[in-house]
Amino acid sequence: MEILSLFNVALLVATLRMTAPILLVALGGSFTTKAGIFNIGLEGQMLVGAFFAVLGSIWSGSALVGVACGVAAALVFALAFAVLVVSFRANEVVVGLALNILAGGMTISLMKAIFGTRGSIVGKGIVGLPKVQIPGARDILGSWAPLINGFTPMVYVAFIAVPLLVLFYKRTRLGLYIRVVGEKPEAAEALGISITRVRYIASLLCGLLAGLAGAHLSLGYITMFTENMSSGRGFMAVAILIFSNGNPLKVLAGCLLFGFADAFSLRLQTFGFPSYLILAVPYLVALTALFALSYRSRPKIIRETLESMRKLLSVDNKPAEFGK
Amino acid sequence: MSTTSPAMTAPEAGPAETAVELIGITKRFGAFVANEDVNLIVKRGEIHAIIGENGAGKTTLMNILFGLLQPDQGTIRLNGQDMVVGDPATAISAGLGMVHQHFKLVPSLSVADNVFLGMEIRRNGLIDHTAQIEKTRELSERFGLKVDPEERVSLLSVGIEQRIEILKVLARGARTIILDEPTAVLTPQESRELFQTLRGFVAGGMTVIFISHHLEEVIEVSDTVTVLRHGKHVATGPTSELTKADMVRMMVGRDVSFDRRPREKSDGKVVLDVKNLWARDDRRLPALRDASFTVRSGEVVGIAGVAGNGQTELAEVLAGLRPASHGSAMLKGRDLTVLSTSEIREAGLAHVPGDRLVRGVDGNASISSNLLMGRQDKAPWSRKGILDWRAAATQTVEMIKRFDIRARGPEDTVKRLSGGNIQKVVLAREFTNEADFLLIDQPTRGVDIGAQESIHDEIMRQRAAGRAVLVISVQLDELLTLADRILVMFNGRIMGEVEGGSADSERIGMMMAGLEPKNVSDEVAS
Repeated sequence: MEILSLFNVALLVATLRMTAPILLVALGGSFTTKAGIFNIGLEGQMLVGAFFAVLGSIWSGSALVGVACGVAAALVFALAFAVLVVSFRANEVVVGLALNILAGGMTISLMKAIFGTRGSIVGKGIVGLPKVQIPGARDILGSWAPLINGFTPMVYVAFIAVPLLVLFYKRTRLGLYIRVVGEKPEAAEALGISITRVRYIASLLCGLLAGLAGAHLSLGYITMFTENMSSGRGFMAVAILIFSNGNPLKVLAGCLLFGFADAFSLRLQTFGFPSYLILAVPYLVALTALFALSYRSRPKIIRETLESMRKLLSVDNKPAEFGK
Repeated sequence: MSTTSPAMTAPEAGPAETAVELIGITKRFGAFVANEDVNLIVKRGEIHAIIGENGAGKTTLMNILFGLLQPDQGTIRLNGQDMVVGDPATAISAGLGMVHQHFKLVPSLSVADNVFLGMEIRRNGLIDHTAQIEKTRELSERFGLKVDPEERVSLLSVGIEQRIEILKVLARGARTIILDEPTAVLTPQESRELFQTLRGFVAGGMTVIFISHHLEEVIEVSDTVTVLRHGKHVATGPTSELTKADMVRMMVGRDVSFDRRPREKSDGKVVLDVKNLWARDDRRLPALRDASFTVRSGEVVGIAGVAGNGQTELAEVLAGLRPASHGSAMLKGRDLTVLSTSEIREAGLAHVPGDRLVRGVDGNASISSNLLMGRQDKAPWSRKGILDWRAAATQTVEMIKRFDIRARGPEDTVKRLSGGNIQKVVLAREFTNEADFLLIDQPTRGVDIGAQESIHDEIMRQRAAGRAVLVISVQLDELLTLADRILVMFNGRIMGEVEGGSADSERIGMMMAGLEPKNVSDEVAS
């Protein structure tokens, strides 16, 4: 009974809520993945997005301006990434990691410089994003209404972005070019499609969504900024991107899995499981999923090893006479 | 005044006689001169072949014409007008189209999407896939290039991929089509179909520029030939006035023989005995099906076939790089399919892999390091488990001399060498192993004609020394030159066997296309 009561509407709602930020940033990463860039800098872009969204919100008193500031900051990071990786052909992993470290350090020192504190920014007039109330939802769906009603705007943005991206890749010229540049750059080059331009655009689109994801973290359900508050979501997004290959529907599936694990661990906490174990749940899910997937896609080596071992054990392998 | 003006305007009147004129083109890459004062004049409505060895500057010249490279000097005149071709877009708008040697298709897209890539048909800002499919179908019917516009490119054969590349060029309104080594990937029949298509193009007033190594084809299909050597223009003339030997002499600068190599008859013992061998490819699909054959000592057996019909898998199984799923391959009585790679080499295999830069050499290492590989524990290369570099250098110098490797010395980095010389490094290592069985995959892929000859000589020397040699090649000519017997592979199966001396390429070509040898002999007879 107690186990069953774990699963209810609230858990599903929490799943959607927890899925949103990682879905947004992973969809952003879909652009770079499809364009053939391994973008490990998602984490950093998300983090500066979260920080500057809080700053903008405090300075202007408007959540919307806050979001705009967050996005702008993430775009600056995305641009820096693109300049180094696309124009100067620097190593993607090195640049991505460097920008992630920069984002972590920069937000901490700016926090110290501006607010004189370490750890977190709370209160100080941060204006969060309002919750969206869909008129009539409660009347029609009754107790299921929270499934579509009362989320902050970014949750809707994230889920609506999925079909839009599917359409984008299938039916728009830019979407097609991003795919071509990623899959067969020499084809793009031969047809006069500028690889550089397409990769810049993909990086910036990625920055846009990563910024929105960051703003959602700090202005969505909680209105505060804490050190390193993206807490690995950007890296999880990278993991999802690796096995989904940037396909929006697969990205959605992967993000829902992580969102569910997140929500589930929160729910478990209320049942008194040790918190340090519970906090590890999403990461365990990530590891298991990645292992399962990489095992499926790369069993050849394992199978071949087994096969040759079996052969060696079973087949008589004595050298016979030459030229029988 | 009045007398000069008509003369000055005369060239402007009417359509120009020449489709392409390249005059005095020079292109340098650092100290290397790829093209030096090259002239190329292509008349409208002809098939113009450009021939030359690797590195003769054919592709560079075409890239300049197509705007992919900028010349350091020289003039480009298209349809009688001076042009600066700054990028491919300019070339395309001037009616040029290029079918590259390596296809530039996107595997996950449909045929129609590939044809219209870069010039998508759109409605309300969205790509109109239906219209693109229709247009592709129209084009394919009009020019007799059969394709299914809705099929994904990843599912198609190389021959069809080439048709798509040609359709791409036609969809952009090309009147002059450049083909860079178009037949390298085709069966003889597919090549013939291609030539028919090209003949159709010129009959319709279009112009074709055709780059090739393959002199038979050049003689068969082209109207005019231009020969390049070491980046310089050697000659241009009507194809009908040149023989194959003339062309080779102009390309190489000396006489080269590609006749069938004379040989003593031999009937050595069976060295390799392959029985009912099966193997799967990387997608786990059967790629080698029930292959059975033998190779005797003092015999060269050739494996013919279009690339991708199981030859690679066969070579990999024999070299221990891929597990066999069924069957056996006995080398002097030991079953290779259960031995590890090093045990196989110990058992008497020397392997010249098809992709020499991947499996043949370490490009970043020196020649002596590459020659050392595999015998690092044998004298004189090492003593008491310690490498003797001085001895290695001495050995290397000897091998460089013996195999005529053109390098600055034993410490020269391998990847700086030309394709032919890298291949000679691989041969030098493998042929000096005293192995009884030589597995040679694509002995002269990407190798100059001059070097081809010396590689063939070396293979014949190994045959004379009593080695059993298996040569896999997509170049049928090469097998006709070398092999005592030729096995033809199609779709993973050995379709049939022909004697090297009496082999006619028509019959082999049929088998390469998957026709049963029995039917083939019927058709040949009728």
